[in-house]
Amino acid sequence: MPERFLSVEAASVGYGRAAARAQALRNVSLSFKPGQLSLIMGPSGSGKTTLLSVLGCLLTPDSGKVYVRDREVSGIGEAARTELRRRSIGFVFQAFRLFRSLTALDNVTISGDICGQPGQKQRAKELLEELGLGDKMHLKPDEMSGGEKQRVAIARVLTKDPPILLADEPTASLDTAAGQQISELLFKVAAGHGRAVVVVSHDSRWEPFAHRLIILRDGEVIQDRSQQA
Amino acid sequence: MKLAWHNIAHDRVRFAATVLGIAFAVFLMIFQGSLLFGFLRAASKIVDSTDADLWISARGVTCFDFPASLSRRFIEVSRGVSGIIGAGRIITSFAEYRKPDGKHQLVALVGADPEVGRRFPVPRVNGSITALEPDGLLVDESNTALLDLRELPSDVEINGRRARVTGTVAGFSSFLGSPYIFTSYTEATRYLRLGPEEAMYILLRLEPGYTAEQVRSQLRRRLPEVDIWTRAEFSRRSRLYWITQTGAGGGILIAAILGFLIGLVIVSQNIYATTMENLEEFATLKALGASRWFIIRIVLMQALACGMAGSLLGVAATFPLVEAARNTIAWIYTPWWLPLVTIPPGLLMCGLASIISVRAALLVEPARVFRA
Repeated sequence: MPERFLSVEAASVGYGRAAARAQALRNVSLSFKPGQLSLIMGPSGSGKTTLLSVLGCLLTPDSGKVYVRDREVSGIGEAARTELRRRSIGFVFQAFRLFRSLTALDNVTISGDICGQPGQKQRAKELLEELGLGDKMHLKPDEMSGGEKQRVAIARVLTKDPPILLADEPTASLDTAAGQQISELLFKVAAGHGRAVVVVSHDSRWEPFAHRLIILRDGEVIQDRSQQA
Repeated sequence: MKLAWHNIAHDRVRFAATVLGIAFAVFLMIFQGSLLFGFLRAASKIVDSTDADLWISARGVTCFDFPASLSRRFIEVSRGVSGIIGAGRIITSFAEYRKPDGKHQLVALVGADPEVGRRFPVPRVNGSITALEPDGLLVDESNTALLDLRELPSDVEINGRRARVTGTVAGFSSFLGSPYIFTSYTEATRYLRLGPEEAMYILLRLEPGYTAEQVRSQLRRRLPEVDIWTRAEFSRRSRLYWITQTGAGGGILIAAILGFLIGLVIVSQNIYATTMENLEEFATLKALGASRWFIIRIVLMQALACGMAGSLLGVAATFPLVEAARNTIAWIYTPWWLPLVTIPPGLLMCGLASIISVRAALLVEPARVFRA
């Protein structure tokens, strides 16, 4: 097992210039393990999403280091970061980010197309059925509820089976029942499939599903504790 | 590349707008091309309709329509050169045509000996090679309304002399505004009040075994004061004159290029707008790890699909519209290969237009995917 499966060391990120500059992350060091669902909470502007962007290789920190599967990635080029995201990281977004012109099934199989492994239709069907969307495969995002869209987004991630899954407010747009369903699903991905799952959320309903709770405020970690999920 | 096709199918209105823009640009190119080729063809149509191997003209004649008189002895000298088996004369000049209703019209009268060629329009008796109709005139079928010819034969006047329009020919419309009227050499000299044996062009046919160059050398020795052309040379000279010396051909050529540029702008705007509309999706693709090539292919496929559909629509629209335009521009001509050769520029247009879009798609910040 790599020591630095997914970690940031003394990472700082700022936005803007001169007097308008705001520090989103201040010297943050965190490490995430496979098989755990880590919940990052904090008020708006605390740096949660910035931290997720740094962990997901979407943003390079101004200072500090980022490790993904034991590889230092903060200094690598755009093409290498894209490759890393393609092979090792899956994302679940608050706004689902499904492709509006594609059916649920095509939204899932596009993940294989991006990874250069087309023809994963059967696997995609199985995943959608497993997530209770067997009868919704041919619907487009506009024809589905928020919970259904988020499950399609999760199926899109699972079809490439990445070792790291990063979720940004995945239940913010969902009702209680749908939120519960998504929480259980991501917990299963972490505990059952041994993936490192990092969830950013304001929603305290996530707490029972988290192996670890991290609280950020003003770009700093003010609490980091393990708990019984 | 399913995403590219589905995006197109999803936003049909934008797709239709883009396709129409490209179709318009392609149509514009073909139409302007048809004007250009029709113009060139009309410029040398009379020369190309003869069977002559060599043309003799007065020194410095630039095209068929603006000739000068040749001395009457030239034809006799020509006939004496070995290797020549036939000589015919053509005269042409503007003349006053009086319509059956009494109105006047300026025409370009062309008179020729029957020897100039079987395809050359002279009023022959029942298709005879040598027998010509006395007083007979032929006009292009596109000019019958202009010349007020409601029925044939019709009695008219040329330069105050009685004449009779006996038939029509096709493909000899003029872009000069003065319709061609064809008659025999003898009748033309009468209408134009020229002396016998006077000519403006002498056309020579060669005996098999003699080359044009051999005979031309001999003729040049005997007739140093004239220009001697092969038919192809004189045809090219006429076309070149109209295209380069008058500005009309250049204008048409520039219009064709402008058509391409206008199309490029229309297509660029539409393809760019489509890309910008899907910018969030490109950001998502980048976040999911899509390579640059994957994204480029989506933009290009969408652009090329629009290009192909637009080109085909443009080509399809061309034929009826060119046909309709023929009512007012009788000399317009679309070579069969012209619509085909406009498809690659149509696709190139889309390729060029998509460069800006590709750049926008590649530069989108993937971290924006976290914005709700």
